[in-house]
Amino acid sequence: MFKSCWKPLALSILALSLLSACGEKNTQNSSASNTTASGAAVSGPTVSVNTARGEMNVPENPSKVVVFDMATLDDLQALKVPVTGAPKKVLVPYLQQTLETVNNTGTLFEPDMEALNALKPQLIIIAGRTAPKYDELAALAPTMDMTDSGQDLIGDGMKMLDTYGKLFKKEAEAKKLHDDIQNLLAETQQVAKGKGTGLILMVNAGKLSAFGPSSRFGWIHTQVGVPAADTNIPASPHGQSVSFEYVQKTNPDWIFVIDRTAAIGEEGKTAQAVLNNDLVRQSKAWKENHIVYLSSASYLAAGGVQQMKTDLTNIKAAFTH
Amino acid sequence: MPSPRSGARFLGVLGILLIIASILFMTYGVKGSWDFVLQLRGKKLLMLLTVAYAVGVSTLLFQTLTHNPILTPGLLGYDSLYLLLQTLTLFIFGAVGYASIGAFTKFTIEAPLMMAASLLLFRTLTRNSNGDLARLILTGTIFGVMFRSFNSLLQRLIDPTLFTVAQTSYFAQFTSVNVSMLMIGITVMLISTIWIWRMRYQLDVMMLGRNASIALGINYPRLSRNILLWIALLVSVSTALVGPVSFFGLLICALVNACTPSMTHRLRIPAAFLMAALILVCGQLIFEHVLGMQGVLSVVIEFCGGLVFLWLALKRQS
Amino acid sequence: MFRSSQINAINILLLPLLLIISISIGAAAFHWSDVFSNSDTRSLLIYSRLPRSLAIILTGATLAVAGMVLQIVLRNRFLEPNMVGATQSAALGILLVSIWFPQATQLAKMSCASIVALLGMTLFLFLFRRLPPHRQMMIPLIGIIYGSIIEALVNFIGVETNTLQLLAVWFAGDFSAVLAGRYELLWLTGLMALVIYFLADRLTIAGLGQNISTSLGINYAQMMWISLITVAMITAIVVVTVGQIPFIGLVVPNIVSRLAGDRLRQNLPSVALMGANALLVCDIIGRIIDPPYEIPVSLIFGIVGTMIFLYLLFRKPTVHAT
Repeated sequence: MFKSCWKPLALSILALSLLSACGEKNTQNSSASNTTASGAAVSGPTVSVNTARGEMNVPENPSKVVVFDMATLDDLQALKVPVTGAPKKVLVPYLQQTLETVNNTGTLFEPDMEALNALKPQLIIIAGRTAPKYDELAALAPTMDMTDSGQDLIGDGMKMLDTYGKLFKKEAEAKKLHDDIQNLLAETQQVAKGKGTGLILMVNAGKLSAFGPSSRFGWIHTQVGVPAADTNIPASPHGQSVSFEYVQKTNPDWIFVIDRTAAIGEEGKTAQAVLNNDLVRQSKAWKENHIVYLSSASYLAAGGVQQMKTDLTNIKAAFTH
Repeated sequence: MPSPRSGARFLGVLGILLIIASILFMTYGVKGSWDFVLQLRGKKLLMLLTVAYAVGVSTLLFQTLTHNPILTPGLLGYDSLYLLLQTLTLFIFGAVGYASIGAFTKFTIEAPLMMAASLLLFRTLTRNSNGDLARLILTGTIFGVMFRSFNSLLQRLIDPTLFTVAQTSYFAQFTSVNVSMLMIGITVMLISTIWIWRMRYQLDVMMLGRNASIALGINYPRLSRNILLWIALLVSVSTALVGPVSFFGLLICALVNACTPSMTHRLRIPAAFLMAALILVCGQLIFEHVLGMQGVLSVVIEFCGGLVFLWLALKRQS
Repeated sequence: MFRSSQINAINILLLPLLLIISISIGAAAFHWSDVFSNSDTRSLLIYSRLPRSLAIILTGATLAVAGMVLQIVLRNRFLEPNMVGATQSAALGILLVSIWFPQATQLAKMSCASIVALLGMTLFLFLFRRLPPHRQMMIPLIGIIYGSIIEALVNFIGVETNTLQLLAVWFAGDFSAVLAGRYELLWLTGLMALVIYFLADRLTIAGLGQNISTSLGINYAQMMWISLITVAMITAIVVVTVGQIPFIGLVVPNIVSRLAGDRLRQNLPSVALMGANALLVCDIIGRIIDPPYEIPVSLIFGIVGTMIFLYLLFRKPTVHAT
């Protein structure tokens, strides 16, 4: 049946297995050597930092930093650490002043290796979306992967902030910010206690998706301590498509809204118009005026210190009313 | 009958153009350390060449097999089929850590599946098209839509932690290189070259049609099945490397058929590869390095390829 | 061979049944017994369940009718708004309005989408004119490719303006957001379907070609434009309010004409009914796969519709009743 065909196929499979064996060995080698910064040699004083890939030594207080993570950009802006390069095309309004002055280094998913090569950064900081490119970036410069565990956004955010304080010799500033957030979180937990359940909704072109405790907005449930009105929502990255009836049925005491139409039109306004209907009006959240509009940057810069502050302040303000 | 010289000249011109384009691609606008950039762009260039080979040659073989200059595997839903199989394997083996196994193991599971499934698909298509070409393409296109819908449905039902792995776009991405997949691609490319080159005269005979080739002593059913298997393998390679490209192959083969001095495979197979490589390398050079627009090339290629298809289809009618 | 009256009888029986099922299913608690006693249940029915079901019925019926008109006027079995560039052009229209005038009303968006859809279809007609009409399969194929070229353009704009998520909403229709006060534009599509019903005989004659129409005293060009405008409006309204739903305009008329032959006026009610029922069934499926979350009806219909379409392609071609 496959007479003329099986030989080349068998050959190809043999050759492939050989090749891939080589290939896989190579990657193992490279990952083994990654615990210390590979690629560019680290000169001068180093500092040991905690990353998603374990402890590693990186240059202390590097002057040329390239960042592929909005939360990190947020932290560095708060700590007044200058950034040399970052993906420019990011729609986070409060980071624009920082982004205006940096060199463009591609996108979160596709770092522009050549721009990086030209910039010669002393340190590259990445997270989540850029994590698959770790090996390539680590070959260029010491690279820190600051992907959060996904279990404890605020706790991870604080750890990250402390790490940057240590790394850039801004311990005092970092500690102050850290304590601010700590207090804010404690206050928010305090005022949210016993105030009832919450539901996280994303509004996009008039349609709704719901996010649960295991999603990227789950910290509202897990850390602020607002019990989830519906505990079964799967952790889909785009949320679960739901109807307005669902909101009426889950009947949350609080609704947290992320408005995706903010890209075109006014933030908050359109989402409000979408939610303003008989079914949502029947929910306890609407009756009590308990709709909290999170800024559109909430999921782009989740875990950044300023973003945490903004969101927590928002939520706290809503709960103290 | 053109002289062999004109054929050699044709390939020579394409080859020289490709070399110029590649040199430009490797050297245009380099900043920073050269050896790093050369290594990086070298990898990309290899990837582009491999994809060019896979797409160009699979389309050419497909057109030989179906005796038709406006067909491409992508148009008949082959790419969507491969993507669906990827999601399916993930869906079925998801629990056993399928997401974390290497590209090679994945490919050795997916490619044979793809070969079997594409044999089935092709049989379904040809058996039911009653020799009507438009019906064949229409059926294939609809199959493609169906595979895509199934794919979306599966991805909605799939565990989201797996979903990030299976995330597929409708557009090819020519910017990032998966090295182990590239190794597989290059291996497939080299071995298929040997086989196709050995078969080049039989392929020429095949263009005469089924009855003529059987009369000339070709084992027609076996040859067509083998061609189909190679096509499936090449489509798997290109889709795994960059994603779905429906009209790219058509664009290339149309250009090759328009420019080639003769229709022999000895000439058109290298020409298809060179032409595809030339378009990809030039396109990527212009969009990535000159205009700084990443990820646009595939949309532009689809757009042009679609127009070429319309033009060819309308031309055939009148 | 069924008589169209028999088909209608079956569909008329099915419609209330499906309507009741559709009204019964949803995230919120709903019991028929409470409709008269409980005001919340009553308002749920009037505000959410009924509008959603009506929106589905209107969409299914009018998309099927739009597909049928295209098939009759352009004399091709395998056409629908998706395959003449109408849907994709409508999405292009809405996208452009949303980018330039984000504050535009639903009505303004719809008007713009209709105009662009009409332009898109007119361009397709230019291609269509160059094809001999007896090539049944070539025309829908050209249409699909034509549509995908426009879609590539739309996606390109979407990538450049960071609006891909909005496109996903328009290209994958679902009824999850339908409420009283948010779907009323769809009644306009019903109006269009009525217009088509009253012009049915003239449209059928126009479908026979320019010479025959003229000799029978029908203004051919006028009829062509009317049918294109109605199809463009139906498509645009559906895309604006719920998003695209593929294949319904293709599959339903084909099944009906298979069962009852080709007669626009007699079949129009059957086509509308069957379209409504088919979409109701698919939306119900989408609601019960993974409650209380929803699978978009366009996805369900994409699978069901393609399967039926493949069946239609595979069966022996029938002789056309002209």
